[in-house]
Amino acid sequence: MSPRTKGKGASSFGIGTTSVLTETVARVLLLPTVVAAVAILVKGYAQPGDGFAAGVVASLGVMLQHLALGRREAERLAVVRHAPILAGAGLVLSLLVATVPLLLGDPVLTHYPRPGGHVIYLGTLELITPVLFDVGIFLLVFGSVVGTMNAFARTISEEQEYAGPGDSGLEYEE
Amino acid sequence: MTTLLVLPAGIAWIVAAVLAPMDGRKPVWSWIAAAGLAASFVASVLLVFETLEGGPVETVAGGWPEGVGITLRADVLGASFAAVSLAVLLAAFVHEVLVGVRSRTFPALVLFLAAGLSGLFLTRDIFNFYVFFEISMTSAYILTGYREKDPQVRAAFIFAVVNLLGSVVFLFGIAAIYHVTGSLDMEVVAERIARVKPASILPIATSFFVAFSLKLGLFPFHFWLPAVYVGSHPSVAAILSGALANIGSYGFLRFGAGLMPKELGFGALVLLVLGVASIVYGALQAISRHATNEVMAYSAIGQVGYILVALAIGGPVGYAAAVVYAIVNALNKALVFLASGIRGPLAGAAFAVGAFSIAGVPPAAGFVGKVALFQTSIDAEGTFRSAALLVLIFVGSALSFLYSFQVYQRGFLAREGGDNRRPSPRAARTLTVALAVLVLALGLWPEPLLVLGEESANLLLEPPNRGLAEGGAP
Repeated sequence: MSPRTKGKGASSFGIGTTSVLTETVARVLLLPTVVAAVAILVKGYAQPGDGFAAGVVASLGVMLQHLALGRREAERLAVVRHAPILAGAGLVLSLLVATVPLLLGDPVLTHYPRPGGHVIYLGTLELITPVLFDVGIFLLVFGSVVGTMNAFARTISEEQEYAGPGDSGLEYEE
Repeated sequence: MTTLLVLPAGIAWIVAAVLAPMDGRKPVWSWIAAAGLAASFVASVLLVFETLEGGPVETVAGGWPEGVGITLRADVLGASFAAVSLAVLLAAFVHEVLVGVRSRTFPALVLFLAAGLSGLFLTRDIFNFYVFFEISMTSAYILTGYREKDPQVRAAFIFAVVNLLGSVVFLFGIAAIYHVTGSLDMEVVAERIARVKPASILPIATSFFVAFSLKLGLFPFHFWLPAVYVGSHPSVAAILSGALANIGSYGFLRFGAGLMPKELGFGALVLLVLGVASIVYGALQAISRHATNEVMAYSAIGQVGYILVALAIGGPVGYAAAVVYAIVNALNKALVFLASGIRGPLAGAAFAVGAFSIAGVPPAAGFVGKVALFQTSIDAEGTFRSAALLVLIFVGSALSFLYSFQVYQRGFLAREGGDNRRPSPRAARTLTVALAVLVLALGLWPEPLLVLGEESANLLLEPPNRGLAEGGAP
């Protein structure tokens, strides 16, 4: 299979250009990936899933954009541009949820409302502080994975620009 | 005092998260980071006193019942390792700040490393241990590349590749131990392993041994160590050998002596042979090298051999000697690597204290470690083995004296008058001298060290807590 087919987009990772089909599918798949990630995040309290897995799934969606559409297209998403901030905010949020109970005299990571307390439901999701913790983990994982991808993509595209137009900068077996 | 238990890792972690987006090259952020590290260190020292007086401190995260939630625990062994590692980190970090931080991420990375290290020394859950282990390793991979010149990047690459392999081996061991015992809580695991036939635990014990040996750089697993310690920046080398390598010695003590004492007994002969091989190999290689940090890198291989020998002999005396030696070794290594990075008056004196402490010359702290080892060897089973070990430790010390003297002569005596390079900032030199004074003080007043060693050994020899056995079916 030749990677040099007819589409316009250039992949972030220097795999030549991609076909129109790949580009369209990549665009269409972004939203479902995010929905799946959110589902994994909120289902984690009764079924397999948690913030970590959700973060990985969501960043796979962004990875697809990078691969199919290239860095410039992928970075049109604000969350992709600001990935490091998301990661930092997520870490701080999780740490706060973990340590605030200490100030209230409870063990670290205690969740509120305590068992038996009054809980607000949003559908089947219980609004308890561990949800915030998991959202923090989600942001941390998503932010750091996407940030790492951006860093790689930027390095590769700088190399390509250096090599001049029409040259991918890297050699591939045809 | 369960809040105190969370503080060493917690303070470092929060300060690290806050500092991560800041430009660490600006002195204000560096000093905030130093204050955070110092607070963590103070908390860990308080924890050492707390555990010495009142025994282990425990808390279950989330207020869950025991056996359900993740348990954090500080005992004498963990708290002293946390305190020593944080002390080394603090010294190395302040040293770097005084010399001049050149990377915006340096302060945050050191704090993440501090959070990871203090977390793993203060947990009772094996998987939690692994998570904190990875936090500290990941920060260490990036730290090794600090200054980003070719040697550092090469060192970081080697370090990351080899230690990721080690982490995988360790993770396999954890999965296997969960498979066999059905728990990851250290006390439950210890209690259940005691009832399982050693044959099924030996492969697991071996995988843990390999993982921690890689971390420490013991003889057959040392291949990465010289390249990394020589290539990295002096204060990073001090962090790697004085703080991060403590994971290895702590792992041997906690997992070997604490969780799998029977299996440790079966492997005693192998441990002895590897330890002896490490001592001899490290010393001979160190003598044949020229550059200061190369000599010290090989010397690090030799020094950890002594810890392994003490562990192999075991018993209250052996474990105590292993703890004492590990602590002293961490301080020695931090001191020599920091001193090798500075120039000017008193740098040579500080280095000499570290080098002769490694050789075990009184009154430096290394002498206390060597005496503990002599006692251990005398305690070893069989007259022949005792005699052989005594001779070995004597020869090893003589060899380390030789290379320490060579290095001192080449690095600091010979250059007298001929060295026109600019001396390092006075504050950096003062800090290194202060560390040297600490090493001397611990040699002159070894009581605290010996108490820590003895209490840790008692803790490791205690039978596992039977009351927890009902926590769940194995």
